[in-house]
Amino acid sequence: MLVLGIESSAHTFGVGIVRNGKILANPKAMFKIENKGLIPAEVAETHAVNAAGVVSDALELAGIKMREIQGVGYTRGPGLGPCLQVGELTAKTIAKRLGVAIAQVNHAMAHVEITKKFAKMQDPLVLYVSGGNSQILKKNEKFLHYSVLGETFDIGVGNMLDSFAREIGLNPAWGSTVARLAEGGRYVKLPYKVKGMDFSFTGIATSAAKMKERESVEDLCFSVQETAFSMLCEATERAMLLTRSRELCVCGGVAQSNRLRQMLGLLAKEHKVRFGYAPDQFNADNGAMIAFVAEKMLKRGMESKLSECGIEQRYRIEDAVIA
Amino acid sequence: MKKSYRIEPIDIALRESRTRNEAHVLYEAGRLELNVPRLLAIGRFCVYMERLEGKLLRDIDQRPGQFGEVGRELAILHESGIAHGDFTPANIMKVGKRFFIIDFGLSEITKGVEEKAIDLLLMKRSVDPRCYAAFARSYARHSKNARGILAKLDGIEERGRYKVRSVA
Repeated sequence: MLVLGIESSAHTFGVGIVRNGKILANPKAMFKIENKGLIPAEVAETHAVNAAGVVSDALELAGIKMREIQGVGYTRGPGLGPCLQVGELTAKTIAKRLGVAIAQVNHAMAHVEITKKFAKMQDPLVLYVSGGNSQILKKNEKFLHYSVLGETFDIGVGNMLDSFAREIGLNPAWGSTVARLAEGGRYVKLPYKVKGMDFSFTGIATSAAKMKERESVEDLCFSVQETAFSMLCEATERAMLLTRSRELCVCGGVAQSNRLRQMLGLLAKEHKVRFGYAPDQFNADNGAMIAFVAEKMLKRGMESKLSECGIEQRYRIEDAVIA
Repeated sequence: MKKSYRIEPIDIALRESRTRNEAHVLYEAGRLELNVPRLLAIGRFCVYMERLEGKLLRDIDQRPGQFGEVGRELAILHESGIAHGDFTPANIMKVGKRFFIIDFGLSEITKGVEEKAIDLLLMKRSVDPRCYAAFARSYARHSKNARGILAKLDGIEERGRYKVRSVA
């Protein structure tokens, strides 16, 4: 089956094309962050301008014509409302014009499924870390849905790194700039908060921002990153001990961090657990992961009527059925 | 336990504070004659305690019947002002016919209800819904403050992030 998938939940508008589980194209257009946060309406406008271009790029890269597409998928949620709407509208337009089936995909599940494909894992414990989300996930025993074992009490780890970066005036204000400056930094004490398999991040950013007059930028970046990632590793370790999972993977935007991957690799090694992750283009938001899950869903008859299609800003992964 | 994944200053600070914490809580719990390992001695990074021979609740066939006792143990622990901090079947050991609570590294002596509600939340996420129901019934029967703590649990679940569905 030849399926086109659209992702637009945050700053990325991505279109992926998949045939029988094989990824043929994965182009994207990103809203430029610079030194401020995301204003949903502004980002959505950029997506609307980029949509048609990214769709034609995808078709061209895959070497196919629009009329060959046999199914369409898009991100139902979670994400920013106005941004999700652009993806929904684009997907519905294509599905209606071609008269093909459409599937509503959960964004978090798409990250997990594409990572399982690349890491060659069936039933791993998953650390899903992105801007808006930070969760520890595992399929439930009957394999019907994912369960959230642990989660952030406040904001996602990526969001925390971004807002810290803005507070201390970095540009572009996001995690990879923090990571670059962290090299060679020294540790200063920051709040470390893990409760069972849950964690909370806002305290780290607030405390670090307060120290910006006293401590060097490098030391703060280093300490913010080490503290947050250690918390994630500890909560993951607790979930590993509870589930006795033999496989561990990390996915989502923050999974692009070399340091986090290194720490999780060490953790996995200590427990003799297999560790894996997807290539960076699939950890950042992308259309291919949506197409990948949409194809599975459509093959299993999990399609939606056009009139049922919508968006859900807080679409929880537990509420999505595994295809 | 030293963890290779974290940098030394974080590792040392955590191990020191948790060792102190664990020793303190074990001492209190032991004094109250709760089902916990007996505290023998305290080092900088290590608490020496009685060795228990048994199986983790995680590793045995879980039936609702067993969870009544687990609920009672947690209720008594909470009544004495201790929240466990990582209350899952991986930290409960069946010794003979009794259930012991172990690993107090994340525990707290607290008057607050939030930490106690989180203990319930962790159990809810980790076991079959019928086992949790038996656990919660027994907990409510043995705790004077159960109403407030269960209300807090509802509050945490309603923060929106949470919609608890267990892995079992």
